[in-house]
Amino acid sequence: MATLPQPPMPVVWRSETKPHKFCPGCGHPLVLKALGESIEELGIQDKTVFGCDIGCSLLAWDFFNLDTVQAHHGRVTPVIVGLHRANPRLVGIAYMGDGGGYAIGSQHLVNAATRNEKIMVLLVNNTLYAMTGGQMAPTTLPKQKTETSPYGREPETTGKPTLGPEMIRAIAPDSAYVARGTVSRLPQLKRFIKKGLENVVSGKGFAFIEALSLCPTNWRTNAEETWKFLEQDMHGYFPVGELAPEKGEE
Amino acid sequence: MMAVAFKPIIYEDGKGIFHLYPGLCKGCGLCIQKCPVNTIGWSDTLGVFGTPTVEPGHGKPCTACKNCQTVCPDCAILIVPIKDRKNLKES
Repeated sequence: MATLPQPPMPVVWRSETKPHKFCPGCGHPLVLKALGESIEELGIQDKTVFGCDIGCSLLAWDFFNLDTVQAHHGRVTPVIVGLHRANPRLVGIAYMGDGGGYAIGSQHLVNAATRNEKIMVLLVNNTLYAMTGGQMAPTTLPKQKTETSPYGREPETTGKPTLGPEMIRAIAPDSAYVARGTVSRLPQLKRFIKKGLENVVSGKGFAFIEALSLCPTNWRTNAEETWKFLEQDMHGYFPVGELAPEKGEE
Repeated sequence: MMAVAFKPIIYEDGKGIFHLYPGLCKGCGLCIQKCPVNTIGWSDTLGVFGTPTVEPGHGKPCTACKNCQTVCPDCAILIVPIKDRKNLKES
């Protein structure tokens, strides 16, 4: 039988679990595409452990040909920290959403960053709790309508959206790598993820990458409005780029 | 590891050979928005969720920029520049 050209999936992706479980137009698989290509290019597949959280991120539990663990909500950071401490040869990746990282799991994220744990945290920000139907999250934008903010988020009573990478940069040592990427600039996001993984593999320190993502299902947007919400509203509030340590520290 | 083979529908348009995998395409339409020459549009062929897939030929000729391939969350599009046709046998 003649061989047909096959889809351009990263080698690390498990083809037998595709099509994957994410909704049409979801940003998670784009982040996981950038992550898969980075792992492949660095040649660290055999020593990487992938941990996913509760929420939509758990749909990645069978996504890769990697050792994978799925933890309780917000607890994937300490699980991966524990794995890495038990076997420092491992490259640990904690994959979570903004609800897991900035709400229920924020204490773990903050303390892992302060301790400069040698793991990479990859946090996907889609501005709401997607798996449970689109409730307001710490990252919901001002005036954004969700299931629990039907008149739009009111910063007076619910505060302003969390700026995660800025928070981590402020508390983590200088050797930590911190960046915010976006799925609308996938080559740049991949570069950030690769730098983060290199920071961890070389033993320099913690890596934290936030990826701005898409959720057309809960934003109730078509394809055009989906890109518009990401590129205008989200990029306007969450600045994309690497966060260098402030001069004069340490 | 179990190998899975996906069967593409192949279109030629402009400078690109457009491979669309209906077994992966969920019909999100993100690629339609990112095409700089608007060649991608909805197709009559249905994808894995019973939603329309996409096809080229709705705008200016394809420039083989691969934007659609990059932004596809399902890896349902493969673009091969026509000049690289010889390398297509690799899978």
